[in-house]
Amino acid sequence: MTAAQTTVAALPTRFAGARRFARAFRGRPSGVAGLVILVAFSLLALAAPLFIGDDELDVTKVDGPLLAPPSAHYPLGTDQSGRSVLLLLIWGSRESLRIGVIATVLTVVFGSAVGIIAGHYGGFVGRILMQVTDWFIALPSLPLAISLAAVLGQGSMSITIAIAVTSWTATARLVRAQTLAVEARPFVERARVLGAGDRQIMVKQVLPNVMPLILVSSTLTVAGSLLSEATLTFLGLGNPADVTWGEMLHEAFFGGAFTAGAWWFLLPPGLAILAVVLAFTLTGRAVEYVLDPRMEKK
Amino acid sequence: MAVRETPGFRTALAAAVAGGLLLAGPAAPGVTKAAAAASSTGTSSGKTLRVAMDGSGVDTLNPFTSFFNGALDIFGSIYPTLTSIDDSGAPKPYLATSWTLSDDHLTWTFKLRDGLKWSDGKPLTAADAAWTLHLIMTNDVAATANGTLVAGFDTVTAPDATTLVIKTKKPKSNVTYSSIPFSGIPIVPKHIWESQVAGLKDFKNDSFPVVGYGPWILTDYKNGQYAKLDANKSFVLGAPKYDHLIEQIYKETDAAVAALKSGQLDYISGVNATEYASLQHVDGVQTAQAVGHGWVGLELNPGAKTRTGKPIGTGNPALHDPVLRRAIALSIDKKTLVTKVLNGQGQVAEGYLPPAWPQWSWQPAPGKKQSYDPVAANKLLDDAGYKRGPGGTRTDPKTGKPLNLRLGIHSDDSADAAISRYLVGWLKVVGINAKIQAMSMSALNSDLGKGNWDMLMDAWTTGPDPTYQLGIQSCSTLPKDDGTGGNTDSFFCDPAYDKLFAKQATLFDPAERAKAVGQMQEILYEADVDLMFYNATTKIAASSKVGGLITGKPNADGFYPAQQTFWSYLKATPASAGASASSSGGGSTGLWLGIAGAVIVLGAGVAVVRRRAGADDRE
Repeated sequence: MTAAQTTVAALPTRFAGARRFARAFRGRPSGVAGLVILVAFSLLALAAPLFIGDDELDVTKVDGPLLAPPSAHYPLGTDQSGRSVLLLLIWGSRESLRIGVIATVLTVVFGSAVGIIAGHYGGFVGRILMQVTDWFIALPSLPLAISLAAVLGQGSMSITIAIAVTSWTATARLVRAQTLAVEARPFVERARVLGAGDRQIMVKQVLPNVMPLILVSSTLTVAGSLLSEATLTFLGLGNPADVTWGEMLHEAFFGGAFTAGAWWFLLPPGLAILAVVLAFTLTGRAVEYVLDPRMEKK
Repeated sequence: MAVRETPGFRTALAAAVAGGLLLAGPAAPGVTKAAAAASSTGTSSGKTLRVAMDGSGVDTLNPFTSFFNGALDIFGSIYPTLTSIDDSGAPKPYLATSWTLSDDHLTWTFKLRDGLKWSDGKPLTAADAAWTLHLIMTNDVAATANGTLVAGFDTVTAPDATTLVIKTKKPKSNVTYSSIPFSGIPIVPKHIWESQVAGLKDFKNDSFPVVGYGPWILTDYKNGQYAKLDANKSFVLGAPKYDHLIEQIYKETDAAVAALKSGQLDYISGVNATEYASLQHVDGVQTAQAVGHGWVGLELNPGAKTRTGKPIGTGNPALHDPVLRRAIALSIDKKTLVTKVLNGQGQVAEGYLPPAWPQWSWQPAPGKKQSYDPVAANKLLDDAGYKRGPGGTRTDPKTGKPLNLRLGIHSDDSADAAISRYLVGWLKVVGINAKIQAMSMSALNSDLGKGNWDMLMDAWTTGPDPTYQLGIQSCSTLPKDDGTGGNTDSFFCDPAYDKLFAKQATLFDPAERAKAVGQMQEILYEADVDLMFYNATTKIAASSKVGGLITGKPNADGFYPAQQTFWSYLKATPASAGASASSSGGGSTGLWLGIAGAVIVLGAGVAVVRRRAGADDRE
């Protein structure tokens, strides 16, 4: 990637950097494909209320055939209550993506804060923080998430929190390691000599330098969060009135679609999860390559 | 005797869920185990009936301390009882051929059969029955399992070998249900058990063959594997047609279903809806549904209070208004729940007692039936001053607050989840905003007892005697002021109901008692505190090589009367020309699709986890 190699020589303009990044990213077809899928799902999710009315997802109002295979009127068939699986799938993307993204934001903000503070202060504070992190890593995440969701009461809110609580540790470790690396560089020392305080160093010097890493980490975290959301709702910890992909799988599995051979109700939510998780992973990997010149040599 | 659906079952379900998508997994080991038991019994001569034991299994073979359904099934087969229960749920002769009640309603005299002998040859007399009942009345250990059934008994005596006299402290019309197969007291041989009273708590009753009297004799039991029984060919109610009975224990019904499909098992009671569907079109398997002995419904908090009338809990005061409760009742379309949630495997419920026991069944009078009618529900609320606020939610005229009601459901019950979606939609139409709160069984029951609820989904099962089930609606089951001692189903309390509850206990004539019980159900129906939704059927699968296993005639819906294993095993007949069992993979397409889906999702998960691990390593 020539763009990546000329980084040092480029002008320190914000837009130039973005343009360079875009050019490098375009050179990675898999990343572009992932991004296209993500944009498509996001647009569909945002536009869903424009073409799906409340009545089409309300079990008491729909009048479709029960668990019917795909037809012209119901391109992906219907569920046990006679709702269109296609509309459920589109509507489900809203809640699934929302839980995934919010959980990721919580994860990344908290994980980065812990990582930077631990890396910057080191010593006693850093040790304690890292020990807490290690402790969380050692906890089995699925049972922890299940118990958290059970304690907090069921629904999307508690699932979001449960995901965030169990997945911030990886980000914290990553960011701490990067913080240590950044703080060893001369420009941080220069800033300290010039009288910069802890806060200024962390926010002005370290944060911009660990940002690419956080960005990459968050795209991968979103993928993990989406899967966790699907797992937890599949296990019955969601709100049954919500429509999410995990909830759809839950209904299909426990409502007998499995035995009835109703593949049209089982496969679409599974494939949608697969597509979005894959898209986030591809995008994240592409971004990682573009931002990290060392990756080229591997 | 009524049983709130056991947490054990729900926990097991949750565990099965946690097991994830590996539905096909458990079947294989189950089959091999069943095959081993089948071959080990091949040596004995004669025809063998192989049935799946109730999933709860056997806790102990001591009938005084045992609770598990698997054990109760065995006791019904090997120990006699005073009466048996017929298809309508009414007591019929067994040891006792007739019974009379004194004019003061306090003395019951049972005439017992003459000349019966225990399996060791000693005579079976009224003294055995009197001794058994007396022991339960006077010995705390003996009362462990069945103490409640003799509550109110004053004395039990046997004036001669064929007469048993039971005196009660207060009139008690359900004495004839005290000693019935499965849910009543098994009579044990006095000469065997007399010497065991001192160490009754730890007595395992496992010297085979177990001395008893019944259609079967227990010859062997292997913990966690099987119970083997031989037929008693001189049984007084008719000899079993089979020579041997094996009750096979399966940890999962899936494994039992696989054994049935491959011809290694003859009978399973209580398969789930999914398994039922997969068995319906399998050659060599017959399926049937028996009318349900339980209900699923919604409880509305009418104002939780203690026995002294002190209000407790956080229930929404709006529900104190019977008009609002009636409007909720009218807004629910039970028929849709039966067709869509239950796939038609059940009946719409109106009366409080289930259709399995037809003698207590009650239906509302034609003009009184509360049918689905959202227009009428809206009109009721309009007339009562519940005005619609922004968003269409009505406000409570007494407090001025919007009608936001909590709806508690069992988090591990997929039917609850499915029903709750309908309820939310229907209640919205009449201007009530319901918020679903999915909770664990124990959390739900704890909130219920404290009155911290607005609306709750609940489910009960009932035996042939309705006393307990009716009792939990009486004022005396409300909690005390300190919050203890409560056993109430939904904080219902009505003096007229309690009066009838006391009255029905004095009625000897079953028809008169049924009338009083019907009036009680009418009071409950009109109060709209317990809204009955449906009675789901019990689903049975059996080998088509066995005749007579499924007893009774199907009703208009195609549902059989409630099945009792006591009669099913007794009446089972080997078919002369057995149709060869060949299993066809009806559900296998779905299974493979599901596995494919699971592999895809899990694969993606693994990929992400691996990726993240890689990212960690690199730093």
